[in-house]
Amino acid sequence: MIIKVDREKCAGHARCWALAPDLFELDDEGYVLPGDITVPPGQEALAGRATRACPERALSIGED
Amino acid sequence: MASQPKVPDHVPAHCVGAFNLYKSPEMRPTPFGDPFAAVAKLLDGPAVFYAPETTRDGQGAWIVTTAEEQRNVLQDGASYSSYRRIFSSAIGEDWPVIPLELDPPEHGKYRSMLNPLLSPKRVAALEPFVTAKAVELIEGLKARGTSAEVMTEFAFPLAVSVFLAFLGIPDDRLMEFVGWANELLHMGPAERTAAAHKVLNFLEGMIAQRKEEPADDFMTFLVQAQVEGRPLTDQEIRSIAVLLFIGGLDTVATAIGLDLYFLARNPDRQQELRDNPAILPSAVEEMLRAFPSVTPIRTATRDMDLGGCPIKKGDLVSCPSMASSRDPAEFPDPNTIDFNREDNRHTAFSYGPHRCLGSHLARREIIIALNEWFARIPPFRIKEGTAPVTFGGFVFGVENLVIDWS
Repeated sequence: MIIKVDREKCAGHARCWALAPDLFELDDEGYVLPGDITVPPGQEALAGRATRACPERALSIGED
Repeated sequence: MASQPKVPDHVPAHCVGAFNLYKSPEMRPTPFGDPFAAVAKLLDGPAVFYAPETTRDGQGAWIVTTAEEQRNVLQDGASYSSYRRIFSSAIGEDWPVIPLELDPPEHGKYRSMLNPLLSPKRVAALEPFVTAKAVELIEGLKARGTSAEVMTEFAFPLAVSVFLAFLGIPDDRLMEFVGWANELLHMGPAERTAAAHKVLNFLEGMIAQRKEEPADDFMTFLVQAQVEGRPLTDQEIRSIAVLLFIGGLDTVATAIGLDLYFLARNPDRQQELRDNPAILPSAVEEMLRAFPSVTPIRTATRDMDLGGCPIKKGDLVSCPSMASSRDPAEFPDPNTIDFNREDNRHTAFSYGPHRCLGSHLARREIIIALNEWFARIPPFRIKEGTAPVTFGGFVFGVENLVIDWS
C-alpha cells in the first residue's frame, strides 16, 4: 500500500502528521514532503485514517 | 425594516435567499442563543444562493453552504480573489493585509516566510508559556470566588497574552488591545476607523523601536526579514503586523468561550471529558467543527457557474465555516456533537492556500485552556440569574458568559 501525495493541494493543516507522525514527514513550513509514501505492513488502517483526515483531499491510497 | 434590498440584474429571482449573516433574527445578540443551529439549517437548501446585504458593510454576496463547493472556491485563488481591503478600507486607504489579501503566486512568497514561525513543531515551544498563563488565570479566578465572567477573566486574557508574547508586545495594555479588537471586528464604521488608527499607530511605534533595538520576537523578525533577496518595505511590515495583531486577538478567545458555553449547559458532556481526559484533543476538534467562528469572503475574478448559479466577475462569494462544517454529505449526523468523531476534516481554519496561519497555535491553546480548566474547576454551569448572549456576524461568539462552580 502507498499514500499518494498531491503536494500542490497541501495547505499545511498537518492533520495527517497529527494522527500518524511516523508515516508523514513535514518540511520546515509544516507542509507534507512531496512524493508517495510506502506504508509499512500493519499500518494500513492508520494510513487510511490519516489519509481521510486531510481537509484539502491532498492524500489518497494507492497500490505499490 | 429597511426598504427592499437591492439584487443585481444578473441574479435570477430563484437564486435569492432570505438568510442574512448579520440581520437574520438568530444572528442578532440572543440570550442563550444558538446561531450555529440557524446556519446549519441552510444545508437543507441550495449549495449556493444570493443574500442581499449580508456583509458587514451591507453588500450582497453569494453564500456557499456545502463543504464541496466551498473547497471549489477557497482552493481556487485564480478564480476567487482574496483581496478585499478589510483593514485599509477603514482608514480610507487601499492596501492588502499580508498574506491574507494577496492571491497566489504573490501570496506564496510571504506565506513561506511566515509558515515556519507557526509550524506545528515551532508552536510546541510556546506550550509552557500557554500552560503557565492558563494556570495563573484559573487560580486567580478560584482565589476570587466561585463564579466568573470567563470571556473577560479567562478566555481573552489567555489568548491575547499568548499572542502578545509571540509578537513581542508587553501585556500591560492587554485589555486596551481587546477593546480595539472589539471595536474593529464588532462595532460600527466610526469606531472601526478610530480603532484602525489606534492599532496602526501602536504597531508603527513598535516597528520603529525594534529597528533601533532588536529583540527575540516576531516584530524583530519582520524588520529583519527578507523577501526575494531584499528587506521588507515599511508598508509590507505594517500589512503583516496588522493581520497578525487582528488575527490573534479575537478568534482563539471566542473558541474557548463557545466551548465553555456548550459544556456549562451540558453536565453529561463535562463528565464525559472528566471520565476520559485522553479524548480532549478529539473533543476540541469536534467543538471547532460545531462552533467555528469565521466566514472567508472572496471576489470572483471572472464570470462562471457555481452550484448552478451565475457568478459574475466582481461578485462577492461568502463561505461561512459554520455552514460547511455542518454539511451532512461530509459529517454524518452533523448536528450531533460526538467527541469521538472520526474523519473530522472540519473547516474552522478554512481551506486552500489561506488556511489559518495560526491554526496550530490556536489548537494547542484551546486544548491547554480546557485541560487546565478541567484539572482545576469542579463541575460548572451558567450562573443562575445570568444569561450568556450569542451573536453571529463577522466573527460569531458569546459574551456575558458567567460560569458558576460553587
